Amino acid sequence: MKEFFKDWKVHALCLALTIVAEFIGVKKFAFGPIKFSLLPMLYALIFGVILAISKIIKPDTMKTASPYIGISVMLLTVKMGAAIGPNLKELAKAGPALVLQEFGNLGTLIIALPVAVFIFKMGRTAVGCSFSISREGSLAIIGDVYGLDSSEGQGVMGGYITGTVLGTVFNGLLVSLLISLGVFHPFALAMAAGTGSASMMSAALAPIVEAFPEMAAEITAYASTSNMLTGVDDMYMGLFVALPLANYLYRKFTQKRTIKENKKQKLVIDDKLIQGEHNRV
Amino acid sequence: MSEWAIRIKVLVISALFASIGNTIATAKSGDMVTPLEALPGLALMVVMVIVGCLVQELLEKIFKFHLPTIVYISLVAVLSSIPGFSPIADFIIREFNKISLLALCTPILAYAGISIGKDLEAFKKQGFAIICVALCTFFGTYVGSAIIAQIVLKITGVI
Repeated sequence: MKEFFKDWKVHALCLALTIVAEFIGVKKFAFGPIKFSLLPMLYALIFGVILAISKIIKPDTMKTASPYIGISVMLLTVKMGAAIGPNLKELAKAGPALVLQEFGNLGTLIIALPVAVFIFKMGRTAVGCSFSISREGSLAIIGDVYGLDSSEGQGVMGGYITGTVLGTVFNGLLVSLLISLGVFHPFALAMAAGTGSASMMSAALAPIVEAFPEMAAEITAYASTSNMLTGVDDMYMGLFVALPLANYLYRKFTQKRTIKENKKQKLVIDDKLIQGEHNRV
Repeated sequence: MSEWAIRIKVLVISALFASIGNTIATAKSGDMVTPLEALPGLALMVVMVIVGCLVQELLEKIFKFHLPTIVYISLVAVLSSIPGFSPIADFIIREFNKISLLALCTPILAYAGISIGKDLEAFKKQGFAIICVALCTFFGTYVGSAIIAQIVLKITGVI
């Protein structure tokens, strides 16, 4: 029984962060045409990080809290799933969009891989880091195919850590910005929120619900369905589509690089040959 | 301590915290929902999570195939919220409406905030390049899905 209450500190901290965050409430900011909202969930996250940096939270408390994210998110999953039932008709109408937008998850590659290869001159690390958003499922895939101590493994581990630390904040701000751009319909934004990471999804979904409260039920239903689809197809998409595509594009992108390198090597060899001939003379 | 004991404990505690956050948030917007009013909905949420997890364990034992827990929990939630199909659908719609989505998110991210500290050292050691590339993947997957969804929703006349 003593063990059952051993982690009271974690929960006390969580309660304190929740109460403080909710009391601050939603804050809206505007820089000219760009508007965005900061939500209580983001304060809770950031205050937690500040407490960690100032060493108020001990390492073993941090470790204890980690699996609790996954457990508490299950309540959100139920709330979101229950938005699907009453909206089945609307969802059926949007069926094609819901299924096809799953391929948008390959969008990870389109920007990230060229950036990795051409700007940062990365090697195979680029493949591991860019084929997905580097969540638990991706770790499993890369671990299985290349091993986590390979270059690809370093890439996916780096992405995983970056996502853990920055993913929610980044997604929350990105979606807030996209809403104020006004290019995308809230339904499209909602579908895109289901990316396979529960905390990133909540961070992406919350500003949409906040900005369009009159459509909250449909928005939640779309996001929830998309998230469920990603849950089902994520592994297969990653292993059979995204990873092979990443490898193919990586070869294409680095072909020029290898030709150049070969040329350089050949020049060196030629130089040596010439020098050798000189020596002989 | 068994995995189930921890799971149920954290579920009950985070439901409680969400209800407190929900009270503060709804009070601010002028239509306060007390923790007691939110209780039936939250209790049912906890039960549905447990049912989803049980179904997963059972199916994995019998058929030996794996899908993420969220798929099972979502399915339980979907099936029990279809009006006309599920006898508790009306109850679910009424009671779940009292608990705001945002209020449910706050305790989750509070736990995340508390735990992030342990990854900060590793994060500092990450090269700038990896951080940029990872952020590009988040941007790409979100915007990629949004573009496709927007186009297909337009073509199929939903929006």
